[in-house]
Amino acid sequence: MTVAEPTLFCLRVRYVKQGRLKHLGHLEVARTVERSVRRAGLPYAVTQGFSPHMRIAFSSALPVATSSVCEWYDLVLKSYVPAPEALERLTAATPKDLAPTQAGYIDMRATTLGLLITRQDYHIHLATSYTAEDIDRALGTVASLGKVNYLRGKKEKVLDLSATLAAWFVEQADGGVNITLKTRSSNEGSLRPEILLTAIDRVLTGTLETEPITSTGTPELACFTRIEVERADQYGEDEQGGRIDPL
Amino acid sequence: MRTPYQNRFADIEPLLAHVEKPSRYINHEWGTLSEQDASYRACLIYPDVYDVGLPNQGIAILYAALNRAPGISCERGYIPWVDMADAMRTAGIPLLSLEGAAPAASFDVVGFHIPHEMAVTNVLEGLDLAGIPKFAADRGEDDPLVIAGGPSIYNPEPYCDFFDAILIGEGEEQIVEFCEIHRRLRDEGRSRAEILLELAKVGGVYVPPLYEVRHDELCTRWGYTVPVDGAEVPPVVYKRVVRDFGATDPLAQSIVPYTELVHDRLSVEVLRGCARGCRFCQAGITYRPVRERTADQIVSSVMRGLEKTGYDEVSLTSLSTTDHSCVKEILTRLNHRLEGTGVSVSVPSQRLDSFGVEMALAVAGEKKGGLTFAPEAGSQRLRDIINKNVTEEDLERAVHAAFEAGWRRCKLYFMMGLPGETDEDIVAIAELADHVLDIAREVVPKGQRGGLSVSVSVAVFIPKAWTPFQWCAQLDDDEVKRRQQLLLKSVRNKAVRVHYHDAETSLIEAVLSRGGRALAPVILGAWERGQRFDAWSEHFELDRWLDAAAACGIDLREVAHEEFPLDARLPWEHTSPGVSRGFLEREWRRALAGKTTADCTRESCTGCGVCPTLGAENVLIGERS
Repeated sequence: MTVAEPTLFCLRVRYVKQGRLKHLGHLEVARTVERSVRRAGLPYAVTQGFSPHMRIAFSSALPVATSSVCEWYDLVLKSYVPAPEALERLTAATPKDLAPTQAGYIDMRATTLGLLITRQDYHIHLATSYTAEDIDRALGTVASLGKVNYLRGKKEKVLDLSATLAAWFVEQADGGVNITLKTRSSNEGSLRPEILLTAIDRVLTGTLETEPITSTGTPELACFTRIEVERADQYGEDEQGGRIDPL
Repeated sequence: MRTPYQNRFADIEPLLAHVEKPSRYINHEWGTLSEQDASYRACLIYPDVYDVGLPNQGIAILYAALNRAPGISCERGYIPWVDMADAMRTAGIPLLSLEGAAPAASFDVVGFHIPHEMAVTNVLEGLDLAGIPKFAADRGEDDPLVIAGGPSIYNPEPYCDFFDAILIGEGEEQIVEFCEIHRRLRDEGRSRAEILLELAKVGGVYVPPLYEVRHDELCTRWGYTVPVDGAEVPPVVYKRVVRDFGATDPLAQSIVPYTELVHDRLSVEVLRGCARGCRFCQAGITYRPVRERTADQIVSSVMRGLEKTGYDEVSLTSLSTTDHSCVKEILTRLNHRLEGTGVSVSVPSQRLDSFGVEMALAVAGEKKGGLTFAPEAGSQRLRDIINKNVTEEDLERAVHAAFEAGWRRCKLYFMMGLPGETDEDIVAIAELADHVLDIAREVVPKGQRGGLSVSVSVAVFIPKAWTPFQWCAQLDDDEVKRRQQLLLKSVRNKAVRVHYHDAETSLIEAVLSRGGRALAPVILGAWERGQRFDAWSEHFELDRWLDAAAACGIDLREVAHEEFPLDARLPWEHTSPGVSRGFLEREWRRALAGKTTADCTRESCTGCGVCPTLGAENVLIGERS
């Protein structure tokens, strides 16, 4: 016998991570969003059990120092609040550098963000004296390897570029170079831009074979005086490769 | 020229990518108060990292009070963690405030909170990073006034040379008066010396350079402190006290951090002071008298605070929350209001009787982690000496009730090296812990006994100023180690785990608790040898302290292990929490005789002298149980 669950509503919210708050870690962002929901006074649902907590789920973690215009969370509500009103209340209760930008209801049984989102696009700015052509060639060299080995803590890991790197575009920009990366993610893994950038740096300095790549928040790299990474888009794909937006 | 007030965040931002927890340095939190175009600026610094300092309620109260005052802007500062401090030094960036990211040296006043003795090397670290001269005597007209306050300034002498003024006692009214007078005198163009002389007349303000140390009467090696000849300043600076505590806003906290904190929750101060009279306890004297808020005030501010901050936990703070005369009503009302929200209530430290367990149960809900009790001493004889008015029976009942209610882990706090302690008292700690485990095994059903644990945590007794034990010596390290071994050997049950505090840190705490002005060069020497973040065990190195002291001809062990004569003038008696010396002497004699003294919030006045001296009194809103 199943006990009927009271009517619940799932609000899907898109938000940004920018300015100084790009330095927050994923848990810091999650905690801040949860507190914003409470401050907004929304009728959030709570899990059952020993340690009841808010029913909220986030899209995949964004690294420290990476900004974004397209982060998402799903929030379960106990009663219906019109989406524009919920968005307004959340906006008033959230630090502006994590501001929500879009909100709407989805079916409680809809695909979760974690399963839905398989595509991530990044905009990267590198302050560098290398030209777009140099960077494009180096990126091509890395991509042709198909994989990059790196260390995360003491663990040896492999970034599978043939599965995760879908496309890239490099162009000359003010004071450096801009890269657009189109990536794929799955349960097998996703592409962390800073590992790719480190590999490019190793190719440019001719040290790809000698220097192991270590995954840290923001690497200090010889060829780039500043690195800015922004997640520009997150979406899913249907069987025909058509785009599915989270909302 | 005064360092200009300007935002230097752009200078530190490039460093953030390469340090631990960059969110410590970014400000822009929810609830930040300061208005940055004020004519008078204060920067209050907690001498540890952001995540330790942010939850401090004292600073939250002063921050709110100063920012409420017209024309005054108060910002916060913390000590950058070692990685960031080193990166800032390399990059030539001084210590910055948080809100305006402005150099600390550009403020009118820089205030350090002194939460405990071990923070003092971080005060020097902060001043050094700020580029402010470390000694008050070396500061010029353009330097900010550097002041201090907080729970650990009741013997200000070891660090008083670093401060222009020390604010004794409760600061919420005092610091506003202090800053307003400072602003007026500054605007009149008065000199630093003239300003400090005037500020010394604000109640509770101790201006060290206007006092000198003498040795011409019976005193300790540190001498005693009196006003310099001709200075019109009070011979004894009494602490400030907020007489109408109920009229203050219980909701001081406004800032909601991004960084995960040590105490990551809303705090509401439900009462101030504790009159239980434990004879080792400094806070039990320095926070008197006892003042309770009403249940209505507490419940409504908790609800308002949760709405404003979005926290999912609220802590009802004080020295002894379960002593509040309406604690049961308060918890019942809060539980009712917060049902189904996932928000939990917590109460720090449990009272050692079945009422304490009942209250712990009221806030625990389904989640029962560990329960902590502090019998402090193993035997009844020693508990009577320290006036921990807890009987063997109270303890048994409390433990019985806790295990029956579903707790499976129990932590017991004790002290070692208390006056009058013998080997039997140490063995009694082990016996008590074993006994607690026996009770647990008796109460808890067979199938659930696997998760049972009893742990014992033993600190080294540190004699503190303004307590009945202020004349006592600290037990020497070798004897501490021998007694720790005795304790380990005396525990029968393997399920009882024993932890003890490091005797080396306790040694420095004892030295700083009871020493005098002559320690300033030792503290400076320890910092110069690399000591900072002394409260973090990975950064504490005793040898640097011993070395710094030896260079000044001081043997720190001798300092800590020295008993003071009962009739000697003590190094700290010119700054007072209002307790009478006669009361402390009487309490010391009663301790020696094993006689206990009652709690004046439950029985009649014990004559400690605080109320008449400070012109305040206990405020209870009901009958205490």
